[in-house]
Amino acid sequence: MFQIKYVFIFSFFFISLLINAQGFQVNLQGQAQQGMGGAGIAYAQDAASLFFNPGSSSFVKGNSININANAGFANSKFLDKNTHIISETKSPTSTPFAAYGLFQLKDSANLKLGLAVYTPFGSTVQWQDNWTGRFAITKLQLLAIYIQPTVSYKLTKKIGIGAGFIFATGKVNLQKDIPVIDVNGNYGHAELEGKANGYGYNLGIYYNPIPKFFIGLTYRSQVNMNVKNGEAKFTVPSSLSVNFPDGKFTSSLPLPSVTSLGFAYKLTLKTTLALDINYTGWKAYDTLAFDYENNTTSLIDTKSARNYKNTFAFRFGGDYKISEQLIARLGIAFALSPVPDGYVTPETPDANRINYTAGLGYNFKKHFAINASFLFTTFKREGTNIETNLSGTYKTNVVIPGLSIIYKF
Amino acid sequence: MKKIILNSFILTAFFLLTNACKPNFKTPDVDKGEIDVTTFVSIGDGITAGYANGALYYNAQNYSYAKLLANQFEQIGGGDFKIPYISSSSIGIGNANNAPSILGNRTDCQGTISLGPIKIATQGDLSIFTSNVYSTQGSFNNMGVADVKAIDIATNGFTNPFYVRMSSSISSSILSDAIAKKPTFFTMMIGLNDVLKYALKGATSESITPISGPVGIGFDASIENALNNLTINGAKGVVANIPSIKSLPYFNTITYNALKLSDSTAKSLTSFYSLLNPVIPFHEGNNGFVIEDVSMPLGYRQSVDGELILLSIPLDSVKCYKWGSLVPIPNRYVLTISEIELIENAISNYNSILKNYATSKNLAFVDVHSFFSSIKTGFVYNGVTLNASFVSGGVFSLDGLTITPRGNALLANEFIKAINITYKSTLPQIEATKYSGIIFP
Repeated sequence: MFQIKYVFIFSFFFISLLINAQGFQVNLQGQAQQGMGGAGIAYAQDAASLFFNPGSSSFVKGNSININANAGFANSKFLDKNTHIISETKSPTSTPFAAYGLFQLKDSANLKLGLAVYTPFGSTVQWQDNWTGRFAITKLQLLAIYIQPTVSYKLTKKIGIGAGFIFATGKVNLQKDIPVIDVNGNYGHAELEGKANGYGYNLGIYYNPIPKFFIGLTYRSQVNMNVKNGEAKFTVPSSLSVNFPDGKFTSSLPLPSVTSLGFAYKLTLKTTLALDINYTGWKAYDTLAFDYENNTTSLIDTKSARNYKNTFAFRFGGDYKISEQLIARLGIAFALSPVPDGYVTPETPDANRINYTAGLGYNFKKHFAINASFLFTTFKREGTNIETNLSGTYKTNVVIPGLSIIYKF
Repeated sequence: MKKIILNSFILTAFFLLTNACKPNFKTPDVDKGEIDVTTFVSIGDGITAGYANGALYYNAQNYSYAKLLANQFEQIGGGDFKIPYISSSSIGIGNANNAPSILGNRTDCQGTISLGPIKIATQGDLSIFTSNVYSTQGSFNNMGVADVKAIDIATNGFTNPFYVRMSSSISSSILSDAIAKKPTFFTMMIGLNDVLKYALKGATSESITPISGPVGIGFDASIENALNNLTINGAKGVVANIPSIKSLPYFNTITYNALKLSDSTAKSLTSFYSLLNPVIPFHEGNNGFVIEDVSMPLGYRQSVDGELILLSIPLDSVKCYKWGSLVPIPNRYVLTISEIELIENAISNYNSILKNYATSKNLAFVDVHSFFSSIKTGFVYNGVTLNASFVSGGVFSLDGLTITPRGNALLANEFIKAINITYKSTLPQIEATKYSGIIFP
C-alpha cells in the first residue's frame, strides 16, 4: 500500500537546433552566403553551392575546396512570470563547420562531383545550476553531421541540375533533474546519451532564363535520426534505485525537409542581389517519444506532443565588389517560428526572428580567397508550456562570426 | 608589444562576444499595493505552525507557509517574523507526545521490507511542553497552534500544550496574544480541526463544532469575533477556507476495497460467511473490507464504495491478523458514507461562513478547498508532477494531513495570488521546487 510509485514523466525535448536556427536555414554553411542574409539558392558563388543548390554547382568554375568555421555565441535568459526569478544559460561556444570539395571531371566539362560535410545541427544549451526549469531540462547537447556526395550536371548553358545523397550521423546528450530529494538535499538526475544515424537527399535545379537573372529551386529531404542504443543513466536516492534502472532507450527525431525557391539578379557589374524563400516541413516534428528498455512504475515510456508547424523564412542580401579583391556583403533574414504557443521549451526558446548579417571577402591572386561573416539576432518569446507549466519570457541573443578559406585549382 | 595588443584585443573581443551580448531583462516592479505588512501575524492550526510529519520541530517550523509568506513580505516592507521555535537540536514533539516520522525501511509482520514512515524515536522531546518560550523568544508573529479549533482561539487560559509553551500568560488566548502584537496584516486559516478531530476518530468520539452558539461554542460567532478583533485597527488580511477531508491522504490512501484475495482464500471466506448474516461473496482480486457496523444483526458488513479507511489502521493486523476479512475493522478506523456526509456538510457550511466574512470585511480570500482538490487531481508545476498520493505525491507530509515544505510554498503562493488580486499588490510568488517534498533515504 505504501509502495513508492513515483511516476517520472520523461519529457525531454529532443530538438534544439543551433540556438539561432529556425529550420536549417541558418546557413552557417557558407560564409559568402551568410554575409548576404543566408541567401544562396540562385547565386552560385562557390563550392558551398553543394549545400545551397546542387544544381548550381556545375556553374561554379574550376575545382575548389572550401572550408568554413563558425563560432556561435548564444545567450538565453528566462524570466519566470510568477516568481520574477531570472535564470540564464551558460552554454559553451558552439562551432558549426562546413567543408566542401568540388571537382571537375576532365572528360566532361558539364559534370561536377562534390563532397559536402556540414553541421546543420550542433549546439549545447546548458542552463545554470538549480534553475527554475531544472526538471524540464538542464543540458542538451546535439550534434548532427551531414555527409553529402553530390553530382551536378549542366544540362544546357542555362540549366543545371544536381543531386546529393545525405548520410547523417549525430549524437545527443540530454540531462535534467528528477524531483526526488535525498537526505543531503540533492535532487536526482537523469542523463540520456545516444548516437543517431539517418539518410536523405538534396536536389536542386538552377536556371538562368534571361541575362543577369537566376532562379533556383531545391528540395532537401527529411532525415529521420534514429537513436537505437541510447544509454539512460539515473542518479537517485538509493531507496529508489530499483525504480530508476540504468539501461537502454530508443528514440527518433525528424530533421525536417526544406523546399527553397531562390532568385538572384546582377544589378550592376559590381552588385548582385539575392532572395531565398524557404519552406520547412516542421510538421514532421509532431511527437517526441522515448522507449525505455527497462520500464518500471516510475520509469514509463513517454510520448510528448510537439505539434510544430511548417514555416517560411525569407532571406535577402546583396554584395558589392569594392575592388577586384575585396567584396562587401550585407543581408537580412526573417524567419518564422515553427513552435506553436504552449510548446516553447527551454531548449528551443524559439521565436519569430530577424537575422542581421554582414560579410567581407578577399581574393588572393588566383588560388586563394577568404570570407568572413557576422550574424546577429535577438528574439523574445513569452508563454506557458502545456507540458511543464513553466511560464515566463525567454530572451536570446546570438552572435556568430565565421571564417572560410577557399582554395581554387 | 604588438603581440600583447593583439592578444588583449582578441581577449576583449571574446569577452564582448560571450558576455556583453547577454540579453537584459527588466525585473517587474514589486509593489505592496494597498497593504502594510510591517507587522504580519498568522493565525491558524498545525499547518500554520509548521507541524509536519506528525510533529512540530525546528526544521518544519521554518517552512510553514506563514514563514514563507513572511520571507516574501520582506520585499514589500515586511518586518521581523517571530516564531516560537523549538530548539534546532531537539527532535520535536507531536500531539501524541510522539516523535516526527521520516521515510525509512520497515519490516512488516510477514517479514517484508518496504519503504514507509518510521518514527525517529520512541517518543518526542517532552521538555518542549514544560518550558514556556514567550519570555525568551516572544512576542510571536506566527500564532499557528497545532490541534486548535476555530472555537478555541479566543479561549483564555487555553490549555493546548502547543499554546501553553508560547502563551504570554496563563490567562491569555491565541487571539489576545495576536492582537497584542498590533498586526497591520494577518492571515487566518482555521476551522479544519473543528471537523477533523471527529473524522480522525472514525466518527466514534469527539464532535463536530456546531455552526451556531456563542463565541467558544459556535463556529460562526467564533470566526466573526476573531475577524472583528483582528481588523479593529484597520488591519488588512487574508481568510482561508478549509479543505475536504477527501483531499487528504490520511483518508484516501487505503481504499475501501484494498482487501486483495487469492481465489482459494476468497472461496474459503465466502463459505465461512455463507453461514452468517449478512452473507458476503468474496472473489479473487480486490474486495471490500469487512467492517464493524453495530446496526447490523451480527455487528459487521462489507465496506462499500465511498467509505474511507483511515491511515491510522494497524496494517499488520490487516496483513497477519485477518482484519478486514475474518475480523471486522473496528469502527474507529472507518468513516461511513453518512459520517462523511456529516463532515463534508460541516466543511461546506464553515466555508460559506468564512467566505461571507471575508467578503463583508473586504478581506482577501484563499480557496484552500479548491487548491487541495486540485492537488488531489494532480498538476504539473515547473516540470514537477504533484498530487495527493501518500509519500510520492510531494505535497503531503508523512502524517497524511499536513504538508511538506514544497506543499507549504505552493500554499503560500495561493495566499500571494489572493493578496495581489484583492490589494492590487504585485508580490512575486515563491519558486516551490526550491523546497523539498518527502526526503528519500
